Amino acid sequence: MSQYINPSDLTTILPAIVLTVWACALLVADLFIPHERKGWTAVLAALGLVVSLDITLIQAGGTSTGFKGMVTLDGFSTFLNALLLVSGLFGVALAYGYVRRMGLERGEYYTLLLFSVVGMMLMVQASDLIVVFIALELLSIPLYVLAALNVRQIESEEAGLKYFLLGSFSTGFLVYGIALIFGATGSTSYSGIVTAASAGTSSLLLTIGAALLLVGFGFKVAAVPFHMWTPDVYQGAPTSVTAFMSSGAKIAGFAALLRVFALAFPTLTADLTPILAALAALTMIGGNLIAVSQTNIKRLLAYSSIAHAGYILMAFVPYGNPQVMPVSVAAGLFYLVAYAVTNFGAWGVVIALEKQGGKGLEISDYAGLFWKNRPLALAMTVFMLSLIGFPPTIGMVGKFYLFRAVIDGGFVWLAIVGVVTSLISAYYYLRVVVNMFMQEGEPQTGSEFWVNFTWGLTALMTIIISFVPQPLFAWASSAVLRLF
Amino acid sequence: MTTAQIIFLVVAAVTLVSAFMVVTTRNLIHAALWLVATLFGVAVTYALLNANFLAVVQVVVYIGAIAILFIFAVMLTRKEMRDQGPQLNSAWWISALLAVLTFGGLVGMLWGWKGMDTLASEMPVGFDSVSALGDALISPNAFVLPFEVASVLLLAALVGAVYVAFNPRSGDSRK
Repeated sequence: MSQYINPSDLTTILPAIVLTVWACALLVADLFIPHERKGWTAVLAALGLVVSLDITLIQAGGTSTGFKGMVTLDGFSTFLNALLLVSGLFGVALAYGYVRRMGLERGEYYTLLLFSVVGMMLMVQASDLIVVFIALELLSIPLYVLAALNVRQIESEEAGLKYFLLGSFSTGFLVYGIALIFGATGSTSYSGIVTAASAGTSSLLLTIGAALLLVGFGFKVAAVPFHMWTPDVYQGAPTSVTAFMSSGAKIAGFAALLRVFALAFPTLTADLTPILAALAALTMIGGNLIAVSQTNIKRLLAYSSIAHAGYILMAFVPYGNPQVMPVSVAAGLFYLVAYAVTNFGAWGVVIALEKQGGKGLEISDYAGLFWKNRPLALAMTVFMLSLIGFPPTIGMVGKFYLFRAVIDGGFVWLAIVGVVTSLISAYYYLRVVVNMFMQEGEPQTGSEFWVNFTWGLTALMTIIISFVPQPLFAWASSAVLRLF
Repeated sequence: MTTAQIIFLVVAAVTLVSAFMVVTTRNLIHAALWLVATLFGVAVTYALLNANFLAVVQVVVYIGAIAILFIFAVMLTRKEMRDQGPQLNSAWWISALLAVLTFGGLVGMLWGWKGMDTLASEMPVGFDSVSALGDALISPNAFVLPFEVASVLLLAALVGAVYVAFNPRSGDSRK
């Protein structure tokens, strides 16, 4: 029993520590940056993310645990932390010009974004339910504020309040679940839970606790039937915030869910697998069906993000089957990358077309875009095809890996639901494309360098990775969970 | 009278006077500060009763969090620090009656209680829940990581709250 913190404790979460210190320093540095030059804050924030990303990549391949097993560094966490930090960079890039155009430029934006990324990274690394809980709050609270960033606009205020109230409500479920699990097993660490569970302690309490945990995470990743907040929040929040939160919060939520279920609840497979399968099927069906009737692009992408939560959830269904688990985890990770890349691109296009006061957000505003701005329209087409899962895009490759893993796990019906709902989704994604190519219109597009850079880069990635998916999939396959 | 009794009487008097001032002062900030004094008096009473943990929690939660929250809320949201309206409404005598009855009931109940004039048994040697708690919070073998992350969380929440409640450029446009 050492009285001092081990260096290995600190190196396990070094990227998160560096980012925390950077965010605190940024808070102070921001005071000295004059009001017209808040762009510097964005640059400094991006620099912090790059430094943290560097450390993450240097640490790649190493595994360790810290703080008596409360946090873990493994291939899984390296992969997802890198993805989260890149998401943070895209979030800063999209915000850079957007917040100035909308008159929202404030230094706090970037500090809060960094804090949120720290929460996400800790959530990926957590292997103790208390750390999961606190990291989840650290992820969420800055997002509540960012959603309400445009306090002068009533929709943004509504988004912030709604997200805050429902988010707190879902945290309640999570904490109650943690309390029940602690009551059943006498431990909050995953290793302690699994030891107690395999020794055969009362499993009813444990099962209820695990189910409540699933409800709490279900809210965060917007799975049906816990998705009600998503469209309103995504629509009301400033678009650059929506882009970041729809990718980042989802990645972190799924990572924590996967780690909890795979490491702490392998004994509950019989009870939880049917629940997860039903949740995935409901989410795919619900998200895609409601999206059909949307006319606002932000709401459409919100329902699309719900539907994609369902696809990603499919990767969890065979978690209790040791033969299929590694493949399905890799497929889930690959799909998270595919979703993040495509999603940032699509939101980048939305930002390029958005006007002051929430104008330029209807699908009819995209009419004639191809004749006005060809690269932008082509990029949007690529993103829509990728969200459908149409070749040659990364979305298609991701769905292929995902469906294969689910079929290997013996859930053919779930794969069929996935394919059918993808076909349904083609209707509403292609409507956007048809509007851009075949309707008359005079859309106005913005020309901020970093927004254009984001959608351009993600469009290229969407295409290129679909032709050479192997390196990424190989990396995802090596990103295994560290057991105790 | 023993020293403990003298301390108790002083503390009880301070607590009661402060509590009275909370509801009678017209300045909201002063009311919040009197509330801090009241809560501190209660904390000292706990400490006198050997309930160290409760005393610490009283200071940390009620003074450190809730009373400070009141002060922040008043300072960030109100321009007018003074309460101009009447301090009593027409039903004041009902509340007064209820308060007197409750007090009388409590006195009546406690009058015959044996515990009033017997001393509590001594604490076992080495019994100190507070230092065990403190150790657990900052020991690397226990909860130092969640503890530190929670402080980062509070910083983020503070920045966010100040942003939302005190946005100079939104000014009066929302009234």
